[in-house]
Amino acid sequence: MAAGEIATKKSPTLDVNVLLKMLVDELNQVNKKLDLVIELSGKILKTQEEFLRRITKKSYRRKAIKLAPDAMTLLSLPSSLRKTVMALYKLEEATAEDLARETKRLRAVESASANQLVRMGYIKKKREGRKVYFYIE
Amino acid sequence: MKGKVITIHSSRGGTGKTVIATNLAATYANKGLNIALLDLDFRAPSLITVFSKGIRELVKHWLNDFMNGRCTIEQALIDVSGEYNLKGRLLIGLANPAIEAIRDMMGKSRAWEVTAVKRLFSLRSTLFNDMNIDYCIFDTSPGIQYSSINAVISSDLSIIVTTLDSLDIKGVQKMLTEFYDAFEKRTVVLMNKVFPETRKWSNGKQKELITQMEKALKRPIIGVIPCYCDVLQAKRSSLLAVEKSDHPFLRNLQEVAKKLEHID
Repeated sequence: MAAGEIATKKSPTLDVNVLLKMLVDELNQVNKKLDLVIELSGKILKTQEEFLRRITKKSYRRKAIKLAPDAMTLLSLPSSLRKTVMALYKLEEATAEDLARETKRLRAVESASANQLVRMGYIKKKREGRKVYFYIE
Repeated sequence: MKGKVITIHSSRGGTGKTVIATNLAATYANKGLNIALLDLDFRAPSLITVFSKGIRELVKHWLNDFMNGRCTIEQALIDVSGEYNLKGRLLIGLANPAIEAIRDMMGKSRAWEVTAVKRLFSLRSTLFNDMNIDYCIFDTSPGIQYSSINAVISSDLSIIVTTLDSLDIKGVQKMLTEFYDAFEKRTVVLMNKVFPETRKWSNGKQKELITQMEKALKRPIIGVIPCYCDVLQAKRSSLLAVEKSDHPFLRNLQEVAKKLEHID
């Protein structure tokens, strides 16, 4: 009975080795496919990023044309930003320092406020030498 | 820069803005000051009715043309000081009353309104530096609409003209809290067409009314002008400051003019 048991155990051992080899082959194939999937998703991600970059650029450009700091819009802006726009209307073109002199606030406050307005698309800025000028288009 | 831009505004129509604006301008010009009076009520131009005597023939450019960038501010102004024998110069800028012009001004885009504010700010340097103007007075449309708020934000001082009508007072309160507070503009209130009995009131009672109004509006009251039937009945084309300079209405306005000169 015991010898018979050994005999039956021996033949499955041989099968296991074959099966293991088959499994490794299969795994290698899966691995290759996974590498292909990773490579492809990398390419897809790159394309998506490029697409998003272009879309965002376009939408910002559109926003910048649409946004105008007219009197009604000024009412909806936070008072700190409104003050900067009002000063810019008066000065036409100004550095953060000019704005600070007009609003009697700190230069850093005006710089932050004006740059925020640039990001929002309400005003523009240009560099002349070492100075940055803000203006309403 | 010398010179001051004053806006005459109100919450509703019929408070006497144009009468105040024209007579204030003429009062200053009579004192020898140089004044520019601009009609910024493009929806219902009214200054032309005051200076109607042959004024149309003198108009080469309307104020609309200046706002549309078709002419300079000098080209849009007409000197009427000679006609009224004024000591100083009184230059007026008229809004075009033609229906096409009104329609054109009503259909402007937000981008145009931005240019409009820039133009109103830019005229300061021409008027005060090049043309030697002492005061520029904007006569505006009532309530909150582009032409009036553009005028308010580009001026140094606003005078809100109101009657004692509760609708007027409530309108002014709303306008002050929702608009003027946001722009932190220097503002005073002029009570006009106040019921005639106030003329007989004691100084104490008049002061009580002023205190009450100042408390309600949270702004200084620069003057209280009673209602005068002859002012109401006078032709729109008459300039009281020239024709009846000793009229009590004018004496009240002269007091207001004096106080305004002392506001920074």
